[in-house]
Amino acid sequence: MSPSQKLALVVDDSKMQCKLLSVLLEEENYRVVVANDGASGVQMYIDHQPDLVLMDINMPIMDGFEATRRIKKFSGVGNLAPIIFITSMDSEQAFIKSVDAGGDSILVRPFTPNVFKAKIKSMQRISDLVEQVKGLQQEQQNDAELAEKMMSNVIEARNFALDKIGVIKKPATIFSGDIQLSALCPNGDLHVLLGDFTGHGLRSSIGAIPVTETFRAMTKKGFSILEIIAQINRQMHTLLPGDLFFAASFASISEHEKSAYIFNAGLPDGYLFNEGAKIIQQFASTHPPLGILPQLLPDAQLEVIQVKSNDRIVFITDGIVEARNPPGELFGFPRFEKAAIEGIENKDLISCVLRELDDFCQHCEQEDDISLVDIPCSGWKKIKITNKVAIPEGFSEEDNYFGIPQGALPTWSYHLHLTGKLLKTVNPIPLVMSQINDLEGAGEHWQSLYTILTELFINALDHGVLELNSSLKDSAEGFSQYFNERAKRLDKLAGNVINAPNDFVRISLKYFPLSHGGKMVINIKDSGQGFEVLDVIKDNSIAMNDGLKLSGRGVELVNQLCDTLEYQEKGTLVTASYIWHV
Amino acid sequence: MTINNKLSADGKQLVISIDERFDFSLHQQFRDSYNSLTTQELTYILDLSQTEYMDSSALGMILLLKDHVQLHAGHLIISKPSDTVRKILEIAQFQRLMTIE
Repeated sequence: MSPSQKLALVVDDSKMQCKLLSVLLEEENYRVVVANDGASGVQMYIDHQPDLVLMDINMPIMDGFEATRRIKKFSGVGNLAPIIFITSMDSEQAFIKSVDAGGDSILVRPFTPNVFKAKIKSMQRISDLVEQVKGLQQEQQNDAELAEKMMSNVIEARNFALDKIGVIKKPATIFSGDIQLSALCPNGDLHVLLGDFTGHGLRSSIGAIPVTETFRAMTKKGFSILEIIAQINRQMHTLLPGDLFFAASFASISEHEKSAYIFNAGLPDGYLFNEGAKIIQQFASTHPPLGILPQLLPDAQLEVIQVKSNDRIVFITDGIVEARNPPGELFGFPRFEKAAIEGIENKDLISCVLRELDDFCQHCEQEDDISLVDIPCSGWKKIKITNKVAIPEGFSEEDNYFGIPQGALPTWSYHLHLTGKLLKTVNPIPLVMSQINDLEGAGEHWQSLYTILTELFINALDHGVLELNSSLKDSAEGFSQYFNERAKRLDKLAGNVINAPNDFVRISLKYFPLSHGGKMVINIKDSGQGFEVLDVIKDNSIAMNDGLKLSGRGVELVNQLCDTLEYQEKGTLVTASYIWHV
Repeated sequence: MTINNKLSADGKQLVISIDERFDFSLHQQFRDSYNSLTTQELTYILDLSQTEYMDSSALGMILLLKDHVQLHAGHLIISKPSDTVRKILEIAQFQRLMTIE
């Protein structure tokens, strides 16, 4: 027996007929097994799983129709199990009944050996095609599963704070067109994205890889969320065909500023819930989905909100509200909100929403990907603020543990002088950090330096060049007023071409290597009028103790991170030194 | 027939009307309704007054139509969307990209 030899089952109560058909089949290179009634035919089919069945109609114990029905039921949907009825009943009725029972063809006696063999061949051709399709389907399924596994490894496995951020992800097919990303900024802020590509399946999940890479790399380098959104938009516009786009919501949450920046481009409303499960605010879409326009709209801006530590931000894609139950009704916003509120009250939003959704849909076929992210507004990571270097026991200052030679020259220095319009369009901190990384390599200790630089630069720009009063930030209304005013003044600054060189911020760094670490001296000078440093700091520290003020945390934080911090020239020049040990 | 397209007598206005469901199944038919028209400065009116359901691939199809219209210096108007459809267009902020009336 060769492995390619096919197996046929002949079911006929006439031994004569069985013998005759067997001979013909063997001439066609089949092996043959025989049964003499319907019931044993079914049993033989189960035992041998033949490639072809020839079935008589009138037989004792069980007739051919019933045997065929049982065989088809056993072989299941998607498997052909070709059955040819062999009969001398040349009637329309017999033909129809044999097809109804599940027969694939019928051959009416008498027939010549050549007609018989032609029939077998044509049946074989069909069953070969079915096998081929099944093989391709299986192959595709395997490939898809592998690709999905790799994609979710690339995309979701590296998400930050997965234990804190609640996620629902129910793809409609193997591949999801929805993605959820989270990453930690160098200053301890959290960036979160929930996105939905047009359609679902492989076609729509391809774009997830570049989005993920951009989101992670830019967050890590310290770019702001709006810069990241603008870049993802450009990238999607270049990569995606005209009818594919990417609807997404973004949040950047600062635990230490107790604020969040939200941007919704084409998703259903996002929510801010408080500790008591009340909806405090909703975030409607304010921009077309990403990838449609070559650039973000000129008025694209983030929504700035103040958050309390037990608040939570929730984003959803339209798959949740558009999920249908058997009568075809939509799950809708009211049902979703009710489930979410109940969930927060029971401290488990995810399970509650999933349960309500399952109860509602009752195994209806899911048409679109369903996803949700539930982000707590605090608690993912405390930024380290006890970074002042402690001299190990046994060393005194005089032992010169760090080996700082008096009057030593820095091994390198770096200056960046930004004027006019560039103050609006360029974020210098990622530039500076990338220089430092290039020169001195990457390291954990740059995290604090990043925070110092960001805070000092923003102070110089906001309070120096833009002359904004930080006390505006003391109240909730003032908070957004502050940001609106800031945007307005930046626009004015950018529009002022003639006096552009007069508005500037200069950042200087000097690097001193130490025997167990290093020291960075940071100078930031701005073109502003200056301020009464003492007043502000005194004011801040009183307010900090009272726990009243929302502003002024920046200086306080920098002070804790730095070795020394000093304001000069009426507050227009700040010098900070930062020492670390490795 | 789920898509109707009618060119006005003066040849300056094309009205494309969509039935109840505007989704991916209309992809080819929708494209065919405008693709062969290369007249410059034509006004394209997409009539959604009968449409009750629209999915995100329909939004994509509208964007393709918009590309076609821009290529031929035409003008695109989305006409009379129902409340449900208007809500979908608003979430996608399409009023920022084209005229909806």
